Amino acid sequence: MSMGDHRVSDAVDLSKAKKDYSAFDAQLTHSALNFRMFVRLLGWLKPYKVTLLVSVIFILISAAISVLVPVMVGRVVIDRILLPTPMSDDVADYGMGALVTGVSNGIGLSMLMAAVVCYAGLVLGSAICMYIHRLTLSQSTLQALRDLRIDLFRKLETKPASFYDHVSVGRVMTRLTNDISNLVELLTGFGQLAGEFVPFFLALFLMYSIDPELTMVMLVIIPIVSVVVYVYRRIVGDTYRNMRNSVSNMNQYMQESLVGMEVVQLSGREAQNDTHYGERNKQNRMWQFRAANIEVVYNAFNMNLASVAIAALIWVGGGQVMEEEITLGSMVLFIQLITMMISPVVAVSGQFNTLFRAMASGERIFQAIDWDESTKEPKHPVPLPESVHGELEFRHLNFGYYHGEPVLKDVSFKVNAGEKLAVVGPTGSGKSTLIRLLARFYDFDDDMVFLDGVDVNRIASADLRARIGIVLQDFHIFSGTVIDNVTLNNPMISRERAIEAARTVNAHRYIENLQNGYDTILSERGQNLSQGQRQLLAFARVLAFDPEILVLDEATANIDTATELIIQEALRRIMENRTSVVIAHRLQTIQDCDRVLVLHHGEVREYGTHQELLDRKGIYYTLHELQFQDSRAL
Amino acid sequence: MSWLIVILVGMLTTRFLEAMVPLFMKTAIDSLEAREPNLFWPVVGILTVVGIRFCLSIFTSRLVRRIGIVTAYDLKKRLYRHIQKMGPLFFNQFSTGDLMSRSSGDVGMVRGVVAYGWIQVVTFVFSIVMGLAFMTWLSPSLTLAVVLPTPLVAIVGVYMSRRLFPIVREQRQAMDDVTSFTQENLNGIRTVQAMAQEQREISRFEEVSTRYASMVYRATRYRARMNLVMPFISIFSTLMILGYGGNQVLAGEITIGTFMAFFSYMVMVTGPISSIGGWLSQFTSAAAATERLFEVLDYEPEIRNQSEEAVPTTIQGHIRFEGFSYRFPDADRDALTDISIDIPAGETVAFLGSVGSGKSTLLKSLVRMINPPPGTVNIDGSDIRNYPIEQLRSQVTLIPQDPFLFSISIHDNITYDEPERDMPPIRDAARLAELLETIEAFPDQMDTVVGERGITLSGGQKQRSTLARGLIREARVLAMDDCFAAVDTRTEETILHRLKEVRRGLTTVLISHRVSTARHADRIFVLESGAIIESGSHEELMAQGGYYASLESIQSNQDQDRDRKAALLATLDIDVDGGSPRE
Repeated sequence: MSMGDHRVSDAVDLSKAKKDYSAFDAQLTHSALNFRMFVRLLGWLKPYKVTLLVSVIFILISAAISVLVPVMVGRVVIDRILLPTPMSDDVADYGMGALVTGVSNGIGLSMLMAAVVCYAGLVLGSAICMYIHRLTLSQSTLQALRDLRIDLFRKLETKPASFYDHVSVGRVMTRLTNDISNLVELLTGFGQLAGEFVPFFLALFLMYSIDPELTMVMLVIIPIVSVVVYVYRRIVGDTYRNMRNSVSNMNQYMQESLVGMEVVQLSGREAQNDTHYGERNKQNRMWQFRAANIEVVYNAFNMNLASVAIAALIWVGGGQVMEEEITLGSMVLFIQLITMMISPVVAVSGQFNTLFRAMASGERIFQAIDWDESTKEPKHPVPLPESVHGELEFRHLNFGYYHGEPVLKDVSFKVNAGEKLAVVGPTGSGKSTLIRLLARFYDFDDDMVFLDGVDVNRIASADLRARIGIVLQDFHIFSGTVIDNVTLNNPMISRERAIEAARTVNAHRYIENLQNGYDTILSERGQNLSQGQRQLLAFARVLAFDPEILVLDEATANIDTATELIIQEALRRIMENRTSVVIAHRLQTIQDCDRVLVLHHGEVREYGTHQELLDRKGIYYTLHELQFQDSRAL
Repeated sequence: MSWLIVILVGMLTTRFLEAMVPLFMKTAIDSLEAREPNLFWPVVGILTVVGIRFCLSIFTSRLVRRIGIVTAYDLKKRLYRHIQKMGPLFFNQFSTGDLMSRSSGDVGMVRGVVAYGWIQVVTFVFSIVMGLAFMTWLSPSLTLAVVLPTPLVAIVGVYMSRRLFPIVREQRQAMDDVTSFTQENLNGIRTVQAMAQEQREISRFEEVSTRYASMVYRATRYRARMNLVMPFISIFSTLMILGYGGNQVLAGEITIGTFMAFFSYMVMVTGPISSIGGWLSQFTSAAAATERLFEVLDYEPEIRNQSEEAVPTTIQGHIRFEGFSYRFPDADRDALTDISIDIPAGETVAFLGSVGSGKSTLLKSLVRMINPPPGTVNIDGSDIRNYPIEQLRSQVTLIPQDPFLFSISIHDNITYDEPERDMPPIRDAARLAELLETIEAFPDQMDTVVGERGITLSGGQKQRSTLARGLIREARVLAMDDCFAAVDTRTEETILHRLKEVRRGLTTVLISHRVSTARHADRIFVLESGAIIESGSHEELMAQGGYYASLESIQSNQDQDRDRKAALLATLDIDVDGGSPRE
């Protein structure tokens, strides 16, 4: 058994984690119409229900007016003014005739001019109502979805590290951005659809009240349209799915090629990758072609639907006009109403895709919100005093990431206030897990870890983390200035304090030498900083936050010797007067500590001062000879 | 161009047939008014139009769609091919996310215009022409009255949609802010949590998402306003028909059928005009997208095959740097200054030096990942710029510092340059890189997929995999850029010893921070700020007592301790691991 094999077991563990991570997507039902989800979504709209109600009222008014417009043309302008027939007065005109007569008498206009004025009034009134509807609808849905987005983000912020061990940031990102946008589309789409369907039913009602027989003839269209829409959905659904898959397939390939372009070029793989990408591109083109083939037929059908209805109207309605069952104006009214009715039918099929996409998005969002992992917070947290002593104790700690696979077994030790403990052990011994637990990245059982005698599970994690400063191996750089990266934009930490911290850890000189000193913008990948410089910045950050306890995972990366010395000195300074737990890789660091704890296979194997352990000639002695030799000369 | 004519003729015919429908309606209505019903022919006419239009529109729009799809296909193909030829300068300028959005978003935008945009314009023009023609034929004076308000509609439409641009741009910017904020936050979530910054991050997120919501609201409100204003202007044409046309009906100048037909024809004319602003904005964004695409497509590859001067087809591996200076564009000082080194074929050379001393740049010049000035880098006596890039990179292998693996199987990663290799050389390369045992411990062995969709390798495993990927090529010149940083010292020793045998007679250039690595080389060069400050064999440099010697005294001497360590390791295996195969 060698060190290399430990890494193998690490990898195997992670592969198990990957299975969990795939469940994050796999557990989705992909059911098309998830009613419960929809109801749940309404929960976020609740605070804005008044605005939403106003929106609904105005769409109803707008719709009612828009149906009255053709009535005005057919029943009043044609039947009463242009072609007055005795029959005209028998048919309902929903007060339009009276309105025009009233206006005509009131202002002294001719009937025709009065009708023109009324017509303008109706159209513009409808437009104004529609305007109010749009504003209120978008206001309420945008606010509701902003709240949903923030709630989702809040959940994500408090997920334990295990969640992010399993789920890639990209997948979470999609939920916060695209998926929420899809829901916006869904809700505004519903508003639009309502705006089309309310007139649909009003028009239907109007037609029926004027001529039930002709209305029935027209209603024949509905089953025909339904069948066509259904068939279209069936055919196009699979094609769309394949098309989307082919797109993401192509994009993924491109993305990976871009990230690994250096390797591609060095390996001379350009031509082959070109072919591979070409295949994916062709695949996508094929699905696009297929989708287009179906869509053009469907669009052609939709485009001609109204004309067929008009032909039917002329044939049947014309006969009725001749037999004086209806007026010519009624027939014209019918023609206008039928055009009005067909557009929502066409629109609804267009909305299908939005709807299905949004349903899937909603499911993904709620899944992320519900994902059961969340750092346990005590119900009644014990408040910590202004300053803690910093005494840490582990009592018979047992911990494993997966059931039946303990990583830490019966770990007990105590670090007195102000004491420094070095944790050493071969790769895979559980050292990293130990400090991750101190950061409360994972949940563990009660009464095993204590801070000043208080079970840490009874302390609010934010409170705990404010007392324990943690330096991880890789220092994450947020894009922003050097100062921002030290203070993390925390207003409690002044610029002076940040600079002071940088000075203490010997980072001041190199920061001053950067292009804009402390205001130099660092990029996320941090290409403009070397490993050693990043390490020093991490020290400055933790020092600026001035925690009472320091937990540190010493970086193992190869750093040039001069920087190495600077880092050692900085480390000594930040550990000063602080309870410290350090995963140490360097002899110097261990020697600066009061005690050494040797972990192996998750168990405490040796514990004592450096010299005591050396004299024991056990694991520490061996590790010391093997790993720490390099830096003996320091 | 013949398809273009087919499409144009097809669309013109479709518009013409569309314009026929109101005419049939007029005939029917007039006949009803005159009490001499003539319904059969109008109905037959409408149905005939429907039939022809149905087939014709399927035919033409399918053709149009295909043009759009093929355009997108070609663009993506060209983009991918082009990007593959680009060098580091290009990738500094265009990030992965940027290129991705160009290849999907911008291509989609261009496709939209190619497939629908110009068709829409043509449709609009035909529609207006047909509407006007039929109206004029029916009643010139009413036509004039109807057309009179339309210029105003066009002007207001264009004016308003122009003002929409900046609003939409700001909305997109706000979305970008949300995305980048979240991305950064989630990537650094451990830090955020460890420093207990969640609450402040949440309130910052509230700010950006509220800003985004208000930006979307602003855009929506502006669009709603457009929809409110347009009816106020476009209604005049309708009012003309109602008032002026109605009077003409009463005066007996036009029939009621003509009156009704005017409503339909008016829509044919004003509809396109009121949407003029809409397609104008579509064209503007497509123009911007096209520009963005050509910014990439017109980017000249910085590193090209350029000379017809004959070079040997087989590289022997004699490298000569001659007064080689290099400065990155936008840099204020040289990365390398006047480097002159002669490396005979078969020699092993190591470069040492602190970060930023120019070591990597020197190695990159050997595979022309940067472009050295003419005549300064020579292989086998010919300027490196004269070698075709494909040949150069197949015989000179650079193993880069950053261990990048594709999310494909380990097998495919190792034999990435030549997927058709047999298994033995692949296993040999893996063994050489101390990777074979690791691979065999995986459940799927060589077929184990790495990366996002498979197993996550440790830093050392990744680096050894990239090592295997480079070693398998058995190149005449091998350049290793700090390939052992994440590999533990003992494994590195083993690998280096094996390499000594395998690379006998072949040129090897390596970069390291460790004296223990460098001492394996025949000659060692210490670089500082782009210049050579020390050079010689290990012994010579030790005797010089300079930078190298002090480095050596600080770092341990691995060779002397190795035997003792091996013994200790044996104890550790028995004592510590206790023979258990897994934890």
